[in-house]
Amino acid sequence: MNIAVCICQVPDSASAVAVIDGALDMTRAAWVMNPYDEFAVEEAILLRDRFPGSTVTALGASPESGKDLLQKALAMGADRAFDVRSFSPLQDPFQTAWVLAEALRNLYGEALPDLVLCGRESLDFQNASVPAMLAGMLGMVFTGPVSALRAEGEHLELERETEGGTELLVARLPLVISTEKGLNTPRKTGIRQVMEARKKPLEILQASQPPPPKVSLESVETVSKKKRCRFAATPEELAGMLHADGHFRHISGED
Amino acid sequence: MAYYLVFLEPRNGLVAGVSADVWHRVQEQLFSGDRVAGFVAGSLSSGALDVLQGSGTVHHALSGRPAVPSDMELCRMLSELVRKEGCTDIFMAATAAGRRLAPAIAATLPASLLAGCTSAYPDEKVCRRYIHSGSVLAAYRPQSAIRIVLQGREHRRVTFSSLERPRCVAFQESPGILRDAAPLIRAIIATSSSEDISEAGIIVAGGRGMGDAGRFAMLEELANLLGGSVGASRSAVDEGWRPHSQQIGQTGKSVAPELYIACGISGAVQHLAGLASARTIVAINSDPYAPVFDVADYGIVGDVREVLPRLTDAVRDVLRKK
Repeated sequence: MNIAVCICQVPDSASAVAVIDGALDMTRAAWVMNPYDEFAVEEAILLRDRFPGSTVTALGASPESGKDLLQKALAMGADRAFDVRSFSPLQDPFQTAWVLAEALRNLYGEALPDLVLCGRESLDFQNASVPAMLAGMLGMVFTGPVSALRAEGEHLELERETEGGTELLVARLPLVISTEKGLNTPRKTGIRQVMEARKKPLEILQASQPPPPKVSLESVETVSKKKRCRFAATPEELAGMLHADGHFRHISGED
Repeated sequence: MAYYLVFLEPRNGLVAGVSADVWHRVQEQLFSGDRVAGFVAGSLSSGALDVLQGSGTVHHALSGRPAVPSDMELCRMLSELVRKEGCTDIFMAATAAGRRLAPAIAATLPASLLAGCTSAYPDEKVCRRYIHSGSVLAAYRPQSAIRIVLQGREHRRVTFSSLERPRCVAFQESPGILRDAAPLIRAIIATSSSEDISEAGIIVAGGRGMGDAGRFAMLEELANLLGGSVGASRSAVDEGWRPHSQQIGQTGKSVAPELYIACGISGAVQHLAGLASARTIVAINSDPYAPVFDVADYGIVGDVREVLPRLTDAVRDVLRKK
């Protein structure tokens, strides 16, 4: 099974992100692998180990990705990694998906990978668009976010959450899947895995110039969520305040 | 002049309530010369479209093949309809299906995808949405001639009413459009009884301060009384007290209730990330310096185990007097 995992890096805490002169300032941020992508890498490795002859390829396309992110994927157990470089920073999910689709076509040709795994969303911009866009561009079937996966040969049994509860699906490869929390427990990497990762192939793949972005970031502002909290001395007072301010307006009393 | 297309999601043979809301919101924002179309696929109960008020044409794709078309089939049919009709703005409810479908159509057409807008696009020509876990508000401008808008609960219910009704026509698929689609076989759908918290109007949520899984019964009692749903913080989910589907915050769900009651939740940045669109926040915590009080409108300092039963009783009393 040929498995590709698309990963990116995000600031480890949103509180390190600032807005200076109307632009995002990330200089205080420490970068980590996007938590949802860790589930994708872990699942890829579990599948590779179950199906002999499989290969896990990690691709990173975000400008901040660079070597650290891909080294981490290799340390977790990926077989090879590609740092997908673009001439200018990618501006929206469409450009990111486009660059990833091109990289996958270049690496796999017409055959494409059997399985492409992506995190549900990146925690920085939280669009949750790249996985389905990538599938659309590659002409592959997409499903997600997946919270359970069982592989039976060419078939995968999947679970995903919807409004009504959990859907159980049976899907055939090839497939693009986005991964949800709960799918697995991503492994921790020690010094030995990090050393071994250095021997694995990490190559740079130059992307072509993608089409213009479909959405442009026009302005950013910091949000202050601080409110003035009105404290109640007793639960009875609190219930009275909420009622007086009309917060129970739409609720019919029970008798 | 805009030509809107509303994707109507079927649910148990009817039009999903959230889809009908989106339809009526679109009707409300029409200017003279604007047009509306709807699209619905699969078999419907008779009279299922009667809930839709206002002008326009609903295209009903009834292939007679599987009752529920695959995402790929839906993507192809919708893209074809948009091209044929010349639609400029596609509106969808931000459901699980909508979230899968919208990016696929955006990549196919291509189109600008706008999701999670805090203000009702297109009143303003930009989509303002929270990024970086709600700490930054960004304005996005669509660059394509076609836009896709995913609407969540943050857009309040509408009170649109009209004597007009849309007319329904059969959607004619191009020959061969369904070729090689549907490799995804839906085997079973297991539904849980819990209501979806991302759509809930009132949420009572518990965190580590609850102490154990059993005490969540107190939250359920208050939630039932208020007609709301129960949510949980990450630590409560990690403890195994509640399922992940109820987790609110960075690695859980973003919610947009009118009233959010945080019980024994300290208010870590990651949890508050899911609350950016909550209107009124009530905090119950034993630590007067807990960060949750910084974002709360109402607060009470005390042990949830003592405060909650009394609060539930007091709420029952004021509701009775009403």
